[in-house]
Amino acid sequence: MIFNQISDMINMGLVVLDKDLKVHFWNRWMALHSGIDPEKIVGQSLFDFFPNLNEPKFLRNCRSVFAFGNFAFFSQKLHRFLFPFRPAYSDKARFDYMQQSCTMGPIRAEDKTVRYLFLSVNDVTEVVNYEEQLIEMNRKDALTGIFNRRFFAQKLQEEFIRSRRHNRPLSLIMIDIDHFKQVNDNHGHQVGDEALKAFSAKVLARLRKTDLLARYGGEEFACLLPETSGSSALILAEDLRRIVAEENWVCRDVSLQMTISIGIAEGRAEMADSEALLKKADDALYEAKTGRNRAILYD
Amino acid sequence: MAEVQFSVLEKDILQELMNIGFGQAAADLAQVIDLSIELSVPDIQLFKACDLREHIATEVDSDQEFSLVEQYFLGKFKGIALLVFPAKAGKQLVSLFGLQDQRSSPSYHLELLEKEAMIEIGNILIGACVGKITELLNDVVIYSPPRAMIQDLRNSALPKNLFAPSSMAISMKTVFHFEQQEISGQLFLIANQESIVWLKSALHAFMEQYE
Repeated sequence: MIFNQISDMINMGLVVLDKDLKVHFWNRWMALHSGIDPEKIVGQSLFDFFPNLNEPKFLRNCRSVFAFGNFAFFSQKLHRFLFPFRPAYSDKARFDYMQQSCTMGPIRAEDKTVRYLFLSVNDVTEVVNYEEQLIEMNRKDALTGIFNRRFFAQKLQEEFIRSRRHNRPLSLIMIDIDHFKQVNDNHGHQVGDEALKAFSAKVLARLRKTDLLARYGGEEFACLLPETSGSSALILAEDLRRIVAEENWVCRDVSLQMTISIGIAEGRAEMADSEALLKKADDALYEAKTGRNRAILYD
Repeated sequence: MAEVQFSVLEKDILQELMNIGFGQAAADLAQVIDLSIELSVPDIQLFKACDLREHIATEVDSDQEFSLVEQYFLGKFKGIALLVFPAKAGKQLVSLFGLQDQRSSPSYHLELLEKEAMIEIGNILIGACVGKITELLNDVVIYSPPRAMIQDLRNSALPKNLFAPSSMAISMKTVFHFEQQEISGQLFLIANQESIVWLKSALHAFMEQYE
């Protein structure tokens, strides 16, 4: 009696399947979230109700439970969910379906042979919501909304390795807004902040989806360009330089003129690591800054 | 902690038992995953727990990049299972398991698929081997979700609550080989000192059936 009540009160889905994968038990949680009452589903094939589960991985894991008494884990990261239920509590529209973490394991007879398998279903939608928000916050620059330096450093390394492995071009541009300190000094930090936001949006609009723009420092930005040669990156950089210089920036009713200096470098075989690429782009930026409003490709 | 010894006879019995268990596991694996797999005669060694990582690192060919799946098992027999693959095996496993068809699903890209394939084969292989041994010794274990890592053997530490550094641990190593696909790897089952004590009595109980 106690166990019957627990299985109906517990905040978790519990399903028991027999060897033919017919439903032997279906707890109240499953009934409430699926809208399918136990009387309707018990004795029926699970796949009649959930055809999405009739696929090799699920079947393989069922077989391994019956063959070895094994456990199988269906993590939210890889599977999102097993049972397509609507999110129960979340009012955020991030997910169409309840995110689930599921475990499968054996139920044995007295003689220890595996008679049934159980499936436990945990609703992890809220946890995943928070997790994704945290990941997002960890990657983005709070002011401009573009990526931050930490995430950029990680992607730079990954893209550098990828370009090397597949022998594909990769370019990096470093951008510095000329004399930006004067904007802050003359008009205040609020205008400066607005300018950085507007600038980021403008640059982002000129980039491809596959490019990665990050705020590298105060008024310094980095842009990673996969599948792009140094000469193509130079064309883009010249474009950005012109766009920024020609724009009539209005931030908090203050009209501003901005120019940028750009250093560009392309990944080369002789570079030991992604740090070397960064160093070259930085060197080129340093050179560009001696004249301002220039783009220089390291060669 | 007192050192636990394993007599030559006990080691022989364990080896024989593992041979039986792995034989059955291989046969059942063929049914479950439709692939024939060969499991070598296990190599059994006792160590101080603190030396185990080093031991495994030396057993694994360090010139090669490798991937690792680890999973804990918990029963009277408790410890950690480590599955070591050459890094390049990930891609082969993806096609072996027909996972490439899922590439269109959200959030699937190749590295994730490789990880998933390794986790799945790891879970099944570890479950088959641990399950068969414990079945023969009349124990039932539960498992933690498996985790896949890349080249993390030396840096990751064994959990101290399971493996006190001064305690003994037993390592059972087998080489597995998927015959059609030329994929090989190593499986280490490492049980803690408590398990060794239990293992000794369970082995004697196992032998009594035949005496």
